[in-house]
Amino acid sequence: MYSQLFGSYLLRKEAVTPEQLADAIAKVGDAHIKLGTLAIHQGLMVASEVDEVCFLQTREDKRFGEIAIDRGYLTEDQVRDLLKSQIPDYLLLGQCLVESGAFSNADLETLMVDYQTENEMYDMDMNVENKEKITKLIERFFLVAEIPVTEYSVMYMELMFNNLIRFIGDDFTPLAPVPCSEYPVNYCVSQALHGKVNCISRIDMPKESAIAFASRYANQEFTEFDEYVQASLEDFINLHNGLFIVNISNEYSVELTLDPPMVESDETLTLSEASFVIPIIYPFGTIHLIVSLYGE
Amino acid sequence: MSYSDKSVLICDDSILARKQLKDAICEFCDGITIYEGKNGQEAVDLYQEHTPDLVLLDIVMPEMDGTTAVEKIIASDPNATVVIVSSVGTQLQLKKAITAGAKDFIQKPIDISQVHNLIKTHLGGE
Repeated sequence: MYSQLFGSYLLRKEAVTPEQLADAIAKVGDAHIKLGTLAIHQGLMVASEVDEVCFLQTREDKRFGEIAIDRGYLTEDQVRDLLKSQIPDYLLLGQCLVESGAFSNADLETLMVDYQTENEMYDMDMNVENKEKITKLIERFFLVAEIPVTEYSVMYMELMFNNLIRFIGDDFTPLAPVPCSEYPVNYCVSQALHGKVNCISRIDMPKESAIAFASRYANQEFTEFDEYVQASLEDFINLHNGLFIVNISNEYSVELTLDPPMVESDETLTLSEASFVIPIIYPFGTIHLIVSLYGE
Repeated sequence: MSYSDKSVLICDDSILARKQLKDAICEFCDGITIYEGKNGQEAVDLYQEHTPDLVLLDIVMPEMDGTTAVEKIIASDPNATVVIVSSVGTQLQLKKAITAGAKDFIQKPIDISQVHNLIKTHLGGE
């Protein structure tokens, strides 16, 4: 999930345009991490050294590691360790953005340090995702938007991002949440949760995006906006909320109930005071997650 | 193995969930008869009309939820084989469903091998 949240950070900092990010996300699947990018990430080389070695590679028939050792930037042991190290997915995204010219290695170095500092990730051990770090990242995601953060909302969004990765695809970028009191509907499916937490969650998207969303969710190629497409959106939100209820029950012994999913037919939704919208950019379009809290 | 003498009632308000369950069952069971309902009341009515060998029921449905439908089906036929297929797999829901008379519980998303195991357990076959 680091990759999606790093993409969101880059957009917020205006380090990339949405088009540049979408282009890089599309390339991540086929990309291979470079030793230089890993060396910057692990603090073993600075960007100017990596740029120098890359330049020398155009003049000398040697691998990156060999030149870096020749120049005294890396030891043989460090090269061996880098080759064996696990690759954080967000780093590959950063590398693709460098390769596409969105920013330089030096920019990537600065952005990674800023990102880790902003999210209080001091140990540089971001190779393996862990729950505590992800929770912190999602808390930060709300805090930068000045939206009150609760353990339930963090849990809800963490599960949502995981479910999007699992059922729709990992090629998305969530934008920062935006407080919202009115929302103009495209095609919107909602579901209410009751109990200690009372909320209505909605997903909204244009019909064309819904066809692509449903095709991915159901693993079938839909070509028109039909009842199966509509049911896919309802199933997704029902499945997500069902899993959320299971998590809440297991972790907090809090029992919630669900209403059946509904299609919102109003053209403009009037939302409760504590509502926020999170736009989530996919290559097929932007979907909006709208959450309205109604107190206990 | 032929299942031409067997029948299953699938009840879920989602047409997609019904189709996925139906496809998973038909892939495994030649000749089986499938009945479909969209809410708990339809499940009760279809059960009384056809007495299927196996009932697969969602919990969160409009008009009548799955747990209430289990109670009504079991009240009319204590030997009915009802299995809950739901995303709401909390211990409380599980307990409610079992207390109401459900024989099993499958957590969504639907896993085809789980459906096949269910068929083997309740309808027989290899």
